[in-house]
Amino acid sequence: MKEEEKIIMRYGRKGPWSVPEGYFDSVRLEVLENLPEYPAKPVAGQMTRWQRLKPYVYLAAMFAGIWCMMQMFHQMSGAGKLSLDNPPEQIAALMSEPEMTDVYMIPSTISDVELLDDISSQYSSIDDFEKDFGVEIAPEFENAVGKSDK
Amino acid sequence: MAYKPPIDEQQLVSDLQNPATAHKAFDLLMRTYGEQVYWQIRKMVASHDDANDLLQNCFIKAWKNIHNFRGDARLSTWLYKIAVNESINFLNKERQRLGLTEEDPDSFLLQNLESDPYFDGDDLQMELQKAILQLPEKQRLVFNMRYYDEMKYEEISEILGTSVGALKASYHHAVKKITATIENLG
Repeated sequence: MKEEEKIIMRYGRKGPWSVPEGYFDSVRLEVLENLPEYPAKPVAGQMTRWQRLKPYVYLAAMFAGIWCMMQMFHQMSGAGKLSLDNPPEQIAALMSEPEMTDVYMIPSTISDVELLDDISSQYSSIDDFEKDFGVEIAPEFENAVGKSDK
Repeated sequence: MAYKPPIDEQQLVSDLQNPATAHKAFDLLMRTYGEQVYWQIRKMVASHDDANDLLQNCFIKAWKNIHNFRGDARLSTWLYKIAVNESINFLNKERQRLGLTEEDPDSFLLQNLESDPYFDGDDLQMELQKAILQLPEKQRLVFNMRYYDEMKYEEISEILGTSVGALKASYHHAVKKITATIENLG
C-alpha cells in the first residue's frame, strides 16, 4: 500500500509515548495488592428461575406472534367471516347469500354475447329454450335471440 | 505445594483457575501481557493517567472473571478484548460527560495528548497523532493495532469480532484519511 509506506517513511512505526520509570513493575504490584478475593467457581447446572422458564416463555411468545400475524393477515385480506376457523354451518349460510353466489361462484369469464351466441347455435326457436329451462325471456331480449313466433 | 512457573499458556490458565496457584499465576500473567495491554489502551485514550486506571480495571476484571475464560482463544486475545471494551466504555462516558456524540471528533483526546507529560513526540509525531485522532473510533482502533503493533488481521478479527475483509477495508480507509489529513495540514 503506497499511502501506508508514505506514512511509515515520514513518521516511523514507533509510538511517541512513554511511561514513568519502573511503571510496569509498580502497576503490577499495585494490582496484585488490590486484587479482590478469589472468585468462586460457578457451579455447573445451577440455573436461575428465569433461565429455566426462558425457553417456554419464548415458545409461548412465538405462538402468540404467529396467532397475531394470522389475525392481521386475515383482517387485511378482507375474508370476513369465511375462514377455516368458522364452523361449516356458518360457511353454508354465507354461501347461500345471493351476493356471495353471484360474485364468487358464477364464473364471469363468459360474456353475455357469447352466451347468446351459444343459445342461438343450439336452439332454432327461443320457445324451445324457454321450454327446456322453464324461463321466459324478457321482451327486450326477444329480438336479440331471434324469437320468431311471438 | 511449591509453585512451579507454567511452561505454556495452557498451564498458566490451569494455574489461574486453581485458587492455590492463582495469585502467582496472575503475577506472571501481568508480567507477560501487562505492557502490551497498556499500550493498546494508551493508544485509545491518549493520556497516561487514564490508561493507568483502565489497565488496573482491566486486570481486576480479568481476575474476577477468570473462571469465564474457556480457552477458546489465547489469553492475550481475551485480555485485549477486555481492554478494548474498557477503553470504548471510558470514551463513551467521556463523550457523554462532555455532551459529545459519536460523530463529533474526539477533540478532548487531543487536549489530553497535548497536556500529557509522557508524550515524547515532536511536532511531526503530533501531526500524525492529530490525524489519527480524527478517525472514527473503530477505524482508529484498527489503525493502531495494525500500524503500531503490526498485528495480523486474523488476530484483530478475533479481538474485535469483525471479519478480516471488513478490517482490511477499515485499515485502507484509515490510511487514506490520514494521508489526506496530513496533506491538508502540509
